[in-house]
Amino acid sequence: MEDEVRKKRRRKKRDKREAIVLPDATIILALFGLMVVGAVMVYSTTSYTSNLDAQSNFLKKQILAEVIGIVGIGFIYLMPYRFIRWLGSQKIRVLLLMVSLGSVLLLLTPLGKTVNGATRWIDLGPAGQIQPAEIVKVAVLIYIAGYIAEKKDEINTLRGYAVPFVVTMAGAGLVYIISDNLSSAIIIAGIGVLMLFSATKEWKWQIIIYTAAAAAVIWGMITIAHAEAAAGHIDTMKFRYKRILIWEDPTNPDFYYEGAYQTLQGLYAIGSGGVFGKGIGKGVQKLGKVPEVHNDMIYSAICEEGGLIGAAFVLILLGAIVMRCLQIALKSRDIYGMLLCTGVMIHIALQTILNVMVVTNTMPNTGVSLPFISYGGTSALFLMVEVGLVLRVARNNSR
Amino acid sequence: MSQTISAKIIIMGIFMIMFFAFLIFRTWTIMRDNGERYKKQVLNQQKYDSRAIPYQRGAILDRNGTLLAYSERVYNVILDSKMAWNDADSIETTLNAISTAMGLDKETIRKYLDENRESQYHILGTVDYEQRMEYENYVANYNETVTEDNKNRETKLPTINKKVIWFEDKFRRTYPGGSLACDVIGFTTADGRGQYGLEEYYNDVLTGRNGREYGYLTAENALERTVVPAENGYTLVTTIDSYIQSVCEEKLKEYDIAHTGEFRENEMGADNTGVIVMDIHSGEILAMASYPYYDLNDPKDLSMYSDMQVEQLARLGGWEDDLVEGETPEEIKKKEEQRLEKASQMLWKNFCISQSYEPGSVCKTFTVAAALDAGVIHDGDSFDCRGYLTFGEGSKATTIRCHQRYGDGVISLKEAVEKSCNVALMLIGQKLGKDEFLKYQKNFNFGLRTNIDLAGEMRTASLVFNQKNMGITELMTSTFGQGFNVTMIQNISAYASLVNGGYYYQPHMVKQIKDSSGAVVDNVEPTVVRQVVSVSVSRLMIDYCIGVVDEGTGTRARPAGYRIGGKTGTAERSGQGKRDYTVSFMGFAPADDPQIAIYVVIDRPNTATQENGTRNACILCKDILTEILPYLHIFMTEPLTAAERKELEEKGLKDTLNQNSASANSASQNEASAPVPMEPEEEVTELRGDKEGYAIDPINREPLDPETGVPLNADSSIFQDENGNPKEITVLRDEGEEKDDPRE
Repeated sequence: MEDEVRKKRRRKKRDKREAIVLPDATIILALFGLMVVGAVMVYSTTSYTSNLDAQSNFLKKQILAEVIGIVGIGFIYLMPYRFIRWLGSQKIRVLLLMVSLGSVLLLLTPLGKTVNGATRWIDLGPAGQIQPAEIVKVAVLIYIAGYIAEKKDEINTLRGYAVPFVVTMAGAGLVYIISDNLSSAIIIAGIGVLMLFSATKEWKWQIIIYTAAAAAVIWGMITIAHAEAAAGHIDTMKFRYKRILIWEDPTNPDFYYEGAYQTLQGLYAIGSGGVFGKGIGKGVQKLGKVPEVHNDMIYSAICEEGGLIGAAFVLILLGAIVMRCLQIALKSRDIYGMLLCTGVMIHIALQTILNVMVVTNTMPNTGVSLPFISYGGTSALFLMVEVGLVLRVARNNSR
Repeated sequence: MSQTISAKIIIMGIFMIMFFAFLIFRTWTIMRDNGERYKKQVLNQQKYDSRAIPYQRGAILDRNGTLLAYSERVYNVILDSKMAWNDADSIETTLNAISTAMGLDKETIRKYLDENRESQYHILGTVDYEQRMEYENYVANYNETVTEDNKNRETKLPTINKKVIWFEDKFRRTYPGGSLACDVIGFTTADGRGQYGLEEYYNDVLTGRNGREYGYLTAENALERTVVPAENGYTLVTTIDSYIQSVCEEKLKEYDIAHTGEFRENEMGADNTGVIVMDIHSGEILAMASYPYYDLNDPKDLSMYSDMQVEQLARLGGWEDDLVEGETPEEIKKKEEQRLEKASQMLWKNFCISQSYEPGSVCKTFTVAAALDAGVIHDGDSFDCRGYLTFGEGSKATTIRCHQRYGDGVISLKEAVEKSCNVALMLIGQKLGKDEFLKYQKNFNFGLRTNIDLAGEMRTASLVFNQKNMGITELMTSTFGQGFNVTMIQNISAYASLVNGGYYYQPHMVKQIKDSSGAVVDNVEPTVVRQVVSVSVSRLMIDYCIGVVDEGTGTRARPAGYRIGGKTGTAERSGQGKRDYTVSFMGFAPADDPQIAIYVVIDRPNTATQENGTRNACILCKDILTEILPYLHIFMTEPLTAAERKELEEKGLKDTLNQNSASANSASQNEASAPVPMEPEEEVTELRGDKEGYAIDPINREPLDPETGVPLNADSSIFQDENGNPKEITVLRDEGEEKDDPRE
């Protein structure tokens, strides 16, 4: 009893010692820059295709999510580091995981909102709607960081490795099966696998096995797509295979109305932008030409209006955040903070890479949003929460 | 452990940053390799990025709000062949639905489908709202039934593929009156531009602004839409009165039918006939009609005219070609097309404003009014008509004869107008002089456009005399309306000013412009351009003109039960070596308080003698006035004779009789027999040289050389062309009645 009281006092003392310093300037500036670019582009891309009300609505919703995100960052930043650790403690991280997976299961209930054939949102009535896949990303991230920090070297045993691996795959699989959302599943799996890879001592086998598995899946899908096309099942094949065929030839007229249109128009937008772009607000491809231009395809609008300069600026800002995450991870005082930052780094980098690869048709189309820029409240909110965690770790580092 | 982790994280981070760099590179390669092509592609597809929403062209109403023209919403039926072939089984059922519900030909569509499998936009035709709804209901019912049926079937029956047909809004210009006021209204081309008349003149006002619909596809290809609504055009409220207009058109048509082929076989009753009815106190045109007419809903339709009449129209329109034998079918076809086009253009032209002619004796009123106003003559002055007048000196001397070979004797000014005495008018012209005459002519707006708000008003500046080219002969002929050209609208506008107290109003067709919600945008107020003669002169002119109808040359123009004033006119259309005339009557009603002016012109009547033509102009005017005066709430002031009563009853004008029953009854009691109609004097003017021994061509009355028998050149240059042949020789005859010319 007395022990505990002393412990508490010591904690308080330590917390007090930890002075509040300004958060990491690079991340804050880059984040602010991305949010401004995002708001401008969301406004620019929605002002034509929506009428006046809906257009300000897009912008308003986005800004609202970002303001909540900023409040979240502030909250996390001001909390004692203990709180961050507490999130990774066994009970809480499992709880978070269960809540996030439960929210995915909620999609099966009438609360699930179906848009364009896929059930990806939970309708919260007047409070708006959230995308459970985004919660799963954060939950998996925190779970793995907490698990490894707790189990330490146990992660290098097969049994210790298996638990977080299974958790990751379960999360990714659930998201894929229930919400038919391949891109989020890939990102969840990517976060988990790469975090596990970075926390283990082993090099060779992980690289071989994961690369081989990824190659096998890709090869398999391409083969099936070709087989289906050869068999003439142009109309009946699953849309994932169609997207592979579109990726190989975006001008394929068979699929013009099945997504080739989006890819092709996105490429037109990028190509027509040139080095300096047409000027902000002066793009024409957003005028009903590129579907989801304010969302997954916003990179094409940035290229068209801002040109190569604008696109590079956005990627450099995102790269700066990624680099700072890396630096903070390396400086981290504990393995937990280090893995948190690594996870956030992986998340942001993976999502950016997938998005830009899709828009530039470097890989088959799958719906991924561009971090901090694409329209989408849940994504922006949780990414900012993650950035908040990184900033809190950085604050801990500078103690 | 920490070191391994650090190493792995660093490698991962570096890898990611390299990947970012690769993405920038990838973006750049797209711009580098395809930039130019994609830029062009983007520009190319601009026209498809949104869809225009058609505006509704403003309506045209008559003065009482009756629709003369409006735009009706219809739908283009668009066929998407590609969609049809995506679901080839359903083609048959879909075609059935299209042909059953919308009456479009199945086989034509099938043929198109077979030949154009890739087409996604083909307009099958235009349907109205009812047809569209019928089709949509048909499809819904059919699909419901078949879907229900298919549940219990092994082999499924095809449903109708709804994506094959879609509809596109557009507006169709509709003219409920058909040919009513066709010359005034004009029509619109397929792309919505106004042609002729009000449609052309007010095109900018009637035209609205297209709205836009932005369509965009979401990730799953659902089409989302955003709409910027169209701005509709303004509505015109015209000064036209549908009833008066229809009476005028009906009478013109009756006249034409009655005289078709009368003298010249297969030709129309006249080349052109026109009527204008005008409110003299505002310049508002109540009716403006001309024959031949055309159908506004189908301007190119010539089916109401015979082949010969189309030929006549084409010739009038300036078609000079002939079908020569031995030409290839293509050449013949091309010529035939040109011929039809010329004929159509002739029909579309508004005779009342777009064609000039020599007005003849109706212009004597202007000469007399000018002389009275200038103070060179006075009411009660008398003139001595000896049957001819010689003016000029020496070899330039010219003699112009009056209609009365032996002269009218000594007549008063009023009688000169009533009898339309050329000699008296020439004497007045000599007193007035060239300068004053030209000044007044300009005041009456001859040679200038009236600026009526209709497209296509003719310029006549070069068709009137000026200080330089007016010699004594020209002055003399001008006094009785020959030698210079006017348009109908010029003449009636000037005449209205003579009988309304001297105020020249700018004639106009539109009195109000409204927006599509009915709010008034603009009110057109009557515009007085100038005062041309004094009030007292105007009063005298009213008196003289009443005299013309009461006891002069225009008695036949008087409608039963009314007293009106007016002036007849006949001009010989010479220079063609044919016996052609332009006959006219210009009058006002009622006599005691003039309200409206009416002007009837028959251009080249198809009658054996000009006398018949002149009589017909008066009768036409009377027929029109008989129906429109009661409609205008102008009551009968004169007693009706039994014959007139019978005539009105025969015409079915019971209402007119009842309305005026009091005066009509008393009239029939008081007058036992019909009054003896005035036998108007006949007048013929001849133009001849001062040499003796000439002969006169018995047909066209041109002076002939006694030895050679070829026409003699007139002295004045305006009467000959550069070859010295007679040109524009305006031998004037006037107001003859059915009485035969004693000399013939």
